[in-house]
Amino acid sequence: MINLFKAMYTKELLDASRDKRSIMAGLYYAVGAPVLFCVLFMAIITKMVTPDTLSISIINAAAAPDLVRYLENNGIEAAEENDKSEITLVIDGDYAHQMNSGKPAQVFLQADYSKDSLRDSLRKVERKLNEYSGNIASLRLISRGVDPTLLRPVEFQVQDSATPDSKGSMIYGIATLSIILSVFFGAMNLAIDTTAGERERNSLALLLSHPISVTQLILSKVAAIATLSTCALLLVLLVSKFAYPMVPWEEMGFSVSLSYEFVVFSLIIGFPIALLAAGLLVYVSFMAKSFKEAQSYLTFVLFIPIGLSMLTTYNIAVEKVKWLPVAGQQSAMIEFIKGNAIMWPELLVSSFATMILAIGLIIMAGRMLKSEKVVFGL
Amino acid sequence: MKSRGSSLAAVLVIGISALTMPLKADATDVMASLSPCYAKGLKDKLLCGSIKRPISSNEADGQFDLHFTIIPAIKNAFPDEAVIAFAGGPGQSATEIAASFEHSLNVVRQHRAIVLVDQRGTGKSKLLQCDNPSFVEGLAAVDNGPEALEDVKTHTQVCKEKLNVDLSHFTTRMAAPDFEAVREYLGYKKVHLYGGSYGTRIAQEYARQFGQHVLTMTLDGVVPMQQSLVAIGKAIEDSLHALFADCEAQVSCAQTYPNLGEEFSALMQQLSQTPVRTTLKHPRTYEDVELYLTDVKFYSTIRMSLYSNSQRALVPLVIRETKKGNYAPFMGLMSSTDLASALAMGMHNAIVCGEDWPIQNDLPNEVVATPISELMAAGLNVICPILNVAPAERDFYLPLNTEIPTLLLSGGLDPATPPSWAELAMVKMKNATHWVAPTATHIVAAQTCADRLVADFIQQGNTQSIDPACLRKDTKSQFFINLHSVEAETASSKE
Repeated sequence: MINLFKAMYTKELLDASRDKRSIMAGLYYAVGAPVLFCVLFMAIITKMVTPDTLSISIINAAAAPDLVRYLENNGIEAAEENDKSEITLVIDGDYAHQMNSGKPAQVFLQADYSKDSLRDSLRKVERKLNEYSGNIASLRLISRGVDPTLLRPVEFQVQDSATPDSKGSMIYGIATLSIILSVFFGAMNLAIDTTAGERERNSLALLLSHPISVTQLILSKVAAIATLSTCALLLVLLVSKFAYPMVPWEEMGFSVSLSYEFVVFSLIIGFPIALLAAGLLVYVSFMAKSFKEAQSYLTFVLFIPIGLSMLTTYNIAVEKVKWLPVAGQQSAMIEFIKGNAIMWPELLVSSFATMILAIGLIIMAGRMLKSEKVVFGL
Repeated sequence: MKSRGSSLAAVLVIGISALTMPLKADATDVMASLSPCYAKGLKDKLLCGSIKRPISSNEADGQFDLHFTIIPAIKNAFPDEAVIAFAGGPGQSATEIAASFEHSLNVVRQHRAIVLVDQRGTGKSKLLQCDNPSFVEGLAAVDNGPEALEDVKTHTQVCKEKLNVDLSHFTTRMAAPDFEAVREYLGYKKVHLYGGSYGTRIAQEYARQFGQHVLTMTLDGVVPMQQSLVAIGKAIEDSLHALFADCEAQVSCAQTYPNLGEEFSALMQQLSQTPVRTTLKHPRTYEDVELYLTDVKFYSTIRMSLYSNSQRALVPLVIRETKKGNYAPFMGLMSSTDLASALAMGMHNAIVCGEDWPIQNDLPNEVVATPISELMAAGLNVICPILNVAPAERDFYLPLNTEIPTLLLSGGLDPATPPSWAELAMVKMKNATHWVAPTATHIVAAQTCADRLVADFIQQGNTQSIDPACLRKDTKSQFFINLHSVEAETASSKE
């Protein structure tokens, strides 16, 4: 019994290894996804934190030379007259007069606030204008013999208990999403090939004509797929471990580091997911009548685990979602990276649910294979 | 044979791990034993701790708790290195001003932790504080003539009794090993030094005693070892005259305050002959307060405002209004520059009397007499004999002779540590670069792009290929031409 399973398992792996391209296609994802994310992030960060001076159009700059110089010293420069900037600061004609009467002097900040690309720049200009205004206000009060701190009856200070490691939450969400997806994508080709493909090549019926049970057949296929999924998981973890720390996160004020402990932890809690992935892939592929059909179905079906994972990544209904398969494990992974305590009840429940689901899918796939309609793809 | 070889290898490996394991565990244990804490004005979680240190080599003198704070690196890329930041004053608490160090070293901090130690006598490390006069007492204080010195005498005696400790144990030379002890305790193999103002003196002394652990040294607002801190008369006068020249160069200021320099001298003359006694409203409480305005008080306040480019903007206005008999602007400026309470005066005097007072008469720089330099000298002649601090050894005053890569930063408008001091400090430094930010005042990294330059310097260990051009940016503000505005109404804006 065991020997038979072993032989079948070896046969599945051997079969798979013959089609190197489809195996590699799965593993490309495991290597490519984290690398791609990191390159993307690197580009975004360089764009966000470059001390590049922001160039804005300033109209009537001559009326407020001190303000203009203040902005300049804080990285906001007046564009040359011919350069059109999307942000325009208009200094009111009455600016100096109002200022000299001790009345609020007007400036106008003109821009299309719906443009996302301008958001950070606008925020910076607004902040600096407020700072300048505050400085002048303080000095006005001092010149009247009044203590400017009177204007701060309540002084609140944030005391953030986050650590540089835990501040990267959003990044961890994306990192773990790509890790979990690799479990599903890593062995997708193999799964289709060994089910729908085997049937198309007519070798499925041949296999079943041997003295083996359907259960053994399914289990060996599931085991082979889960093995490849786990390999993909290990690969994506190792690549992530080295790729993410290479991005200059520190320039954004946080750091992302994945320890070897995290790799081991993720491998362990990722195992039930690998089984679930295998069960799901086998079941859906057998449901389809052809290789191509299986591909289309899987694309849809994989939206479910992706969706669960996305909910965690984007922090949607996390409190409820974290009891569910996939999402629960991902939450635990995120907490582990952040160095927080792991919520064992949630993790155990979701892992248990994952296993049950996997077993259910495997049993259902087995039942399906008892029907000749399915075996011959009729 | 093969098996013997491999078992030998196993023994070696175990031997190595046996050696390294406890060491590693120790370092993490130490970090784990520190308690999370926060500093004023800084939202990030820091780590605080303390170690026991002997007050002197004589055990009978006892111990004190030396407190320190770590600003953790964002990404601890160099876990064996840290930046030790030294506070100024002397007498400032490094841990209390963590926020301003974080501001100046924000880029440095991305890769290395910053260690702040309350130097002995400051902050939480056996604070040596006298009862400083309050702002209201300061306003009314008679601070000129023999009466003032009599006051200083009684104050010093009271303080000495309160402190009841031999201040000779609180000098720069005695303090440097405390920083080394913290480095060793925290397990950093190498350190970078960043010192500001007086902090540059303790940084140089640390480098002299423990240079083998120092990778780089950044001195910002440099105090040369050869220089007495008391002799800042010329720096103040230079900074003040630069202000008068700036005002003359700005059309609006020159029109509003013609001959500002002469007006200032006349006012000083007037105040020295007939100090003003008047009643004003307290800047905060709005209660009546007494002001006794002397030339000393006026000059001191103007001097303190020269430390910051924004308060500098008020100086012409304050001179004009005071001349007119409106003393509120002066009081406002005085209250906003009131820093005395931030300094541990006992420790401050231990340093000044032990290190600066003994050499105040053999000064390497040109001496410029100002109303307060004479008073400061006279004051120290009263304070120091009472406090009786052992004078520093002669070799303490030798310029630091070192090959450590050193970056010296000076502000062209600095009223305390002028660029010439940095030149004096670097005579024996073989690997030093001096950059001047022409319009910066005291502490360049806090006001200019130097925060990035310092980070680059620490990262690469030298100043090659770092372009200091951005230091030349004009960071001055325009002067207030009335109580409301720095901007003048031009003919066109009136239309």
